Amino acid sequence: MTSTLKSGSSAHLQAGALRRFVATPSFFLLVIIFVLVIVLGSIKPAFFNGPFVIAPLLTGISIFTVVGLSQMVVLSIGHMNLAVGPMAAFGAMFMGLSYELWDLPLVLGLALGILAGAAMGALSGWLVARTGVNSFIVTLAMSFALIGLVPTVYSWLSAGSAFTVKPDGLDEIGRSSFSAICVNGACGSNAIPLIVIPALGVMLLIGYLYSHTRLGRELLMTGSNVDAAQLSGIPTGRRIVLVHSLSGALAALAGFLLAASTGSFTPGIGQEFMLQSFVGPILGGTLLAGGYVSVTGTLLGITLTLVIRKGLDLFGVGLETLNVLLGVILLIALSSDQIRLFFGRRRTRRPAQVDRTSPPPGPKLAQPSVPEEISA
Amino acid sequence: MSSTIALEANGLSKSFPGVKALDRVNLRLMSGETHALMGENGAGKSTLIKILTGVHRPDEGALSVAGSIADIHSPAAAMHAGIGVVHQERNVIRGFTVGENIVMSRMPRRGPRVDWPAVRREAKRCLALLDLELDPDTPMARLSSAQTQLVEIARGLYTETSILLLDEPTASISDNEADRLFRVVRRLTEQGTAVLFVSHKLEEVFAHCDTVSVLRDGRSVLESEPLSAHSRDEIVDVMVGRSLAALEVPERAVDRSRPPVLELSDVDTASGHRGVSLELRSGEILGLYGLVGAGRTELARAVLGLDRVTSGSVHVRGARVSIRSVRQALESYRIGYVTENRKEEGVFLAQSVTRNVAITVWSRLERMLGYVSTKSERALVQKYVTELDIRISGQRQLVGQLSGGNQQKVSLAKWLAAKTEILIIDEPTVGIDVRTKRSFYDLIWKLADDGLAILLISSDLAEMITLADRIAVMDRFAITGEVENSHDYDEMSQSIIRLIHGHAAVT
Ligand SMILES: Nc1ncnc2c1ncn2[C@@H]1O[C@H](COP(=O)(O)OP(=O)(O)OP(=O)(O)O)[C@@H](O)[C@H]1O
Ligand SMILES: [Mg+2]
Repeated sequence: MTSTLKSGSSAHLQAGALRRFVATPSFFLLVIIFVLVIVLGSIKPAFFNGPFVIAPLLTGISIFTVVGLSQMVVLSIGHMNLAVGPMAAFGAMFMGLSYELWDLPLVLGLALGILAGAAMGALSGWLVARTGVNSFIVTLAMSFALIGLVPTVYSWLSAGSAFTVKPDGLDEIGRSSFSAICVNGACGSNAIPLIVIPALGVMLLIGYLYSHTRLGRELLMTGSNVDAAQLSGIPTGRRIVLVHSLSGALAALAGFLLAASTGSFTPGIGQEFMLQSFVGPILGGTLLAGGYVSVTGTLLGITLTLVIRKGLDLFGVGLETLNVLLGVILLIALSSDQIRLFFGRRRTRRPAQVDRTSPPPGPKLAQPSVPEEISA
Repeated sequence: MSSTIALEANGLSKSFPGVKALDRVNLRLMSGETHALMGENGAGKSTLIKILTGVHRPDEGALSVAGSIADIHSPAAAMHAGIGVVHQERNVIRGFTVGENIVMSRMPRRGPRVDWPAVRREAKRCLALLDLELDPDTPMARLSSAQTQLVEIARGLYTETSILLLDEPTASISDNEADRLFRVVRRLTEQGTAVLFVSHKLEEVFAHCDTVSVLRDGRSVLESEPLSAHSRDEIVDVMVGRSLAALEVPERAVDRSRPPVLELSDVDTASGHRGVSLELRSGEILGLYGLVGAGRTELARAVLGLDRVTSGSVHVRGARVSIRSVRQALESYRIGYVTENRKEEGVFLAQSVTRNVAITVWSRLERMLGYVSTKSERALVQKYVTELDIRISGQRQLVGQLSGGNQQKVSLAKWLAAKTEILIIDEPTVGIDVRTKRSFYDLIWKLADDGLAILLISSDLAEMITLADRIAVMDRFAITGEVENSHDYDEMSQSIIRLIHGHAAVT
C-alpha cells in the first residue's frame, strides 16, 4: 500500500506501482474481503454492529496478524516455526508470572515475556543453524517440549491454572476502544479497539525491515539461495538465529495481546495459533520456499479468514463446521503457490503483446511481481 | 552417406514479456553435419533450442523432423522424435548418483524393477565415451562444476538420437575434455547424426563445425551457411552487427618491488593441498591454471575460510590472518570471490537484478537504522548493467529469466560493485560472448591498473595467456611451477603443458 502512495512524484511511476499491486495476491484478497463484507452486511445488518461485532473482529485480526508475522519472518528465509503457539504460551507464562508473583509493572513483564519467547526462538534457530536439521523437525520438537513444560509450570505456580493478576494498563490495551480516548470532548469510535495500535506498530516495523533495510534484504536473499547468500558475504548462520528469535518474540507478543483481550494468562494461549500463522502469510503471497514476503498480504489473509469465521458465526454455523471450512481454506492457501504458478504459466504461454509491462514469472519462478517494494 | 534434412524450422517466433526472444527464425540441420549456432548473450540461442526440444512452445512457425511436420509439444515428444539435448543450465539431480542421472530419461528395467547392474553398465558406457573415469555410484553433489557438465553431456549421449542439440557444452570444461567431446561428435556425425552446437569459443567452432547459423537480437542474420566461406572476423562482425576492433593487449608494468597483498606460504588444506605458496601484488593479475580437478577452486575456498587451512600461513597486506567466512574476507580484508557455479552459488534466480548485484554493497549504502535507499541501490546497479552491457528488460526482472551469459554478468557485477582490493575470479567468462569478453578483459586490466590484485582461475588457456601477468600452474593440489607471461600463445602453452606433464612424470 505504501508503495503506491510514496512515489507520488510522477504519475508514470504511480501507474506502474499500481499495476504491480493489482497483480499481487493482496489485491485479490482485498477484493474478496470487500465483496464478502458487503454481502454479509446486506444479509445480516448486525454484522456492522460496532462494539459487538466489528470491535471483536478487529481485536482478533490484530492478534492473529502478529501471529502471522511471527510465522512470516521465518518463512522469509525458507524455514518454518511450528512452535509459534507454544512459544506464545511460554512468553505469556513469564508475563503472568511476573505480574502475579513478582508484582512487576506492565512494561517490564511484557519485556521479560518477549525475551523469553525470543530465547526459545534463538534456541531453535541455533539448533537449526548448528546441526543443519530442517527447521520443521527442530521446531516440532521444540513445540512438544514447550507443550509439556508450560502447563506443568502453571500447575505448580498458579492457583486454578491461570495467572489472573492484572497490572495497570492491561485492560486498557486489551479491552477498551478508541471511545476511551477523547480530545476536546470528541471521543473515538467504539468499534475500533485500542489493541490495533500495537498490531499496527508491529506491521510497520516488519514492513520497514523487509522493504527498506539491509537486514531485511539479507533475509530474503538467504531465503532465495543460502549457498549464494553465504558466498556473497551474508552471515547466514547468524541470520537464521536472528530470524527465529524474532519469530519467538512476536509469538510472545501475540500471546500477550491475547491474554490482554481475555483478561488472564493461561496455558491454553496459542493453541489456535499454528494453523492461522501459516494461512495468513501464504494467502497473502509469502512464499513457503522463502525469498518473498508480504506484510499487507499477511494482514489481508488473516482478515479474510476471520471475516469468514465471524460471518459464519453470525449465521449460527457450529464450531466443528467452522474448523472444517478453515481446513479447506488452509488447503487452498497451501496450494495457492501452485495455483498462482499455474496461472502465471498460462499467461506466459499467450503471445506477449497482450501484457508487455507487468512481469509474469518464467517457469519455476513463483511470484507474479518482483519483491522490490513490499507494502507495509 | 548422402545428406538429408534432419530438422527444419521455419519462421519460429517466441516472445517473453518485454522481449521478443525469437523473431521468424529459420534453421536447417542436415544429417551428418556439425552445425554451429552462434550469437551474443541473449540473442535467442537457448530459446531456439528449448523450442526444438519442447520446453517452450513457439508463438508461430513450423517444425519438421526428417521431412515430416512434427509437433514437439513436450520434452518427451522431442525425445520420441529422436532429438537429444544437453541444455545450457545444469539439470542434474544433486541427491542422485552419477549413474542414475545419466540414465534418468529411460531407466533400464527388469520387469517393474530398476535393473541396477544395467544402470551402472549403461552409465559406464556413456562415461567411457568421454574417457571419464567416474564411478557411476558417486553422488552427484560431490562433483565439481566441470565434472557435472561432463555428466550432463554423457546423459545426452545415453539414448541414440538422430539429432543432438548441444547448448554451450564446453563452456565450463577445459580444452582436453572438450576434445574428447568432439571425438564423440565426429563419430556420431559419421554415423549420420545431425549435431547443433552452441559455443562462444570461436576456435572450437572453426575447428569442428561444418555449417553456421547466427542469431542477432532474435533474428537470423546468417542461415545455415558453410563455415569455410567465412573468416572469424566476419562471423564476429555478423554476431555483433558492426565491425569489432581487434583486441589490444596493453603493456602492463607490475611493480614487483612492492610487498605482496596476498601471500600463501606452504599452505596445506583440509581439501588436500600440499605446500602451496603464492604471492599476489596489488595491480597484478596472477593466473592460476590447471586441469579440471587440479584443486584451484578448492584453494580459493580455503583462502576464504570455507575450507580449512591445516598448516602454513596466509598473509594479507603483511599481517597473518585466519579467515573464517566470506563476510570476514569481504569486510575485514576486502577480498572478493566470484564463484564458478553461477546457478548454485552465484546468483539468486528468484530475485531481481537489483538485489543480485547490490547484495555486496548494502553495507556501504546502509544509513541510520539499517536503511538502504532503493534509489541509490538502483543507480549503483545501473552503472554495472551499462558497463557490462547486461541485457535486461528492467532492473526488476528476475535473474532466472535472463540468458545464461547475462546471468554470468550479474554474478560478476556483484563483485565488481563490491570494490574489493583482492579479487579471486573463478572461470569468469563461462558462457560470455566475444564482445563482452573483450570489454570484460578491458575492465580487468583497468581494475588492475587502479591497484586491484586479481587471482584469475580459468580453464581457458587462451584467456589466461591474454589476461595474466604471471601464470602459476596447479596439478593435483600442488603448485608445479610459475611462469612469466610473454603473451605468446605457442610459447606459453608449451611451457604450461610441460609444467603439468613434467609433474605428472615425476609422481
Ligand atoms: N523464461 C524467460 N522469461 C523471460 N525472458 C526470457 C526467458 N527466457 C529467456 N528470456 C529472454 O529471452 C532472450 C533470449 O534468451 P536466450 O536464453 O535464448 O539467449 P542465448 O542466446 O541463449 O544467450 P546466452 O549466450 O547468454 O546463453 C533474453 O533476452 C532473455 O532475457
Ligand atoms: Mg543460452
